[in-house]
Amino acid sequence: MKRFQITFKGQVYELEVEEISSSAPTIKKSAPAPVPNAIPAIAPTPKATEPVAPAGAQIVLAPMPGKILAVNIKAGDVVKRGDVIFILEAMKMQNEIMANQDGQISSVSVTVGQTVSTGDVLAALG
Amino acid sequence: MSTTLEKLDDMNKRTQKIMAGGGTKRIDKQHALGKMTARERIEKLLDVNSFMELDRFVTHRCTNFGMEKEEAPGEGVVTGYGTIDGRLVYVFAQDFTVVGGSLGEMHAAKICKVQELAMKMGVPIIGINDSGGARIQEAVDALSGYGKIFYKNTLASGVIPQISAIMGPCAGGAVYSPALTDFIYMVKNTSQMFITGPQVIKTVTGEELSAEELGGAITHNATSGVAHFIAENDTDCLTQIRRLISFLPSNNLDGPPIVDSSDDPSRTEEELNTLIPDNSNQSYDMKEIITKIVDHGDFYEVQPYYAANLITAFARLDGQTIGIIANQPKVMAGCLDINASDKSSRFIRFCDAFNIPLLNLVDVPGFLPGTNQEYGGIIRHGAKMLYAYSEATVPKVTLVVRKAYGGSYLAMCSRDLGADQVIAWPTAEIAVMGPAGAANIIFKKDPDIKTKTDEYVKNFATPYQAAKRGFVDMVIEPQETRPILISTLSMLASKREGRPAKRHGNFPV
Repeated sequence: MKRFQITFKGQVYELEVEEISSSAPTIKKSAPAPVPNAIPAIAPTPKATEPVAPAGAQIVLAPMPGKILAVNIKAGDVVKRGDVIFILEAMKMQNEIMANQDGQISSVSVTVGQTVSTGDVLAALG
Repeated sequence: MSTTLEKLDDMNKRTQKIMAGGGTKRIDKQHALGKMTARERIEKLLDVNSFMELDRFVTHRCTNFGMEKEEAPGEGVVTGYGTIDGRLVYVFAQDFTVVGGSLGEMHAAKICKVQELAMKMGVPIIGINDSGGARIQEAVDALSGYGKIFYKNTLASGVIPQISAIMGPCAGGAVYSPALTDFIYMVKNTSQMFITGPQVIKTVTGEELSAEELGGAITHNATSGVAHFIAENDTDCLTQIRRLISFLPSNNLDGPPIVDSSDDPSRTEEELNTLIPDNSNQSYDMKEIITKIVDHGDFYEVQPYYAANLITAFARLDGQTIGIIANQPKVMAGCLDINASDKSSRFIRFCDAFNIPLLNLVDVPGFLPGTNQEYGGIIRHGAKMLYAYSEATVPKVTLVVRKAYGGSYLAMCSRDLGADQVIAWPTAEIAVMGPAGAANIIFKKDPDIKTKTDEYVKNFATPYQAAKRGFVDMVIEPQETRPILISTLSMLASKREGRPAKRHGNFPV
């Protein structure tokens, strides 16, 4: 049995790996796996100088540590990519956290005034 | 012996065979994948009819594993020279239709030859990568081929611009030649780069992912920072390379080409006066400022998807190429972090190596706090920015538009790191730390802390404390920015600055 610690999007997970046969290693997870987060697809850019934020992710994560100043959505809301769904105060700046894809909010994990760190899940998009 | 005409005929036949590459079937397959052939790519990249091919008749001399029977027209790589906008460049393009574009001894020798010629002539080299990897049959000869290319890449670094386009697979040792060059382009869906492929990763760690997820264009543009540009398809990629070349000088002794700009150098932009929000906690898009300042609002962003909290871009001011390094308040408050430090310092060094003046647009609240930054080594990564700016001897112009706090103020090319001219907007806040934090320390025990803090903001969150000491040369009305920057750059055109003789510094890599 081998133990590994991995950090994925700022979350630390512990993995225990047990070799049962020489050909097929299996993985036992001691922590819940994060929602499968597809490789962010970069939407076709309308203008070369105006990159669009990567889309395709299903969870909205805190990009940096800070305090939630406003929650503009509740579970069940339908949002469009680019809608401002949270205001995160960090580095003395009101950072607009936007929906990274069109969809329906399936859950909101934070409340106003809450302190978050990098990689914390803020909301899940269905 | 045959007649002269027969000899000509023979030459034409030999040429035709080589021009056909791996044959119709393989070429059709290449096209079906949405990829052009090596020759089509070169045609698209260079000015019409400017390509002159070298080493067409080179063949391998491998006899292992039946390789003596394997014909490889052109050795799986097309090499030569031509022009882009009338300016000489060297080029090589691996031909995936010929033995999978695999790299053997003579394939490498063809590439090395154009690398040498490009250095001798002092012109850019563009490498188009589309190869299955080392030609295993050639064993250590193939390995040695890679080694020779890496060595020449390194010698050419900082002498001529080296550009790599990944337009197919590029795996194992092959990735390091592009990695040693200045810029990497990747084409969506058809290009992949990795050291160990998905198969190996699956066996070793059990992770299952596709080649595209592991090392596709999006991965390397957005996550790893290995690539600098992303292209929709082959044509887009080659057109973008032509655009990049238009900004760059041919070598380290030349200046960048000066374009006849039809944009008025004395153009003022009233909107700049009101662009910064009244509340300094609010964000705005730094790209709006760039658009309003540079010629025709046109700039070419380098690594737009990686560390977007800092913008690096090429643009022109009155026809003169400049390199822009700008904080982006819209993303992560525009703070500096490991990736932004890495991205900017490499860009600064490229500009310095190739005589491209630096324009630094500053609105930075500080370095990003957090354990993953500290454990990730933000200290040594942040040091790269300080080093790169201090080391650079090209004209360095710093424009502080809003926040410039603490260490991050220094890191964005302050006067003390050798900025030749520091300009500030009246909205600038240049101070040792944020006003609230500073007031908390200074007036900790004062019962009237609120009034004192407000006073502090009024006096210290301004450009004038720095201007009092001469750290800021001028405070200007934002609408005058373009004409003032153009006049500053023309003043700096004759800048000469030396550095102590050394073998080389110890860059904090």
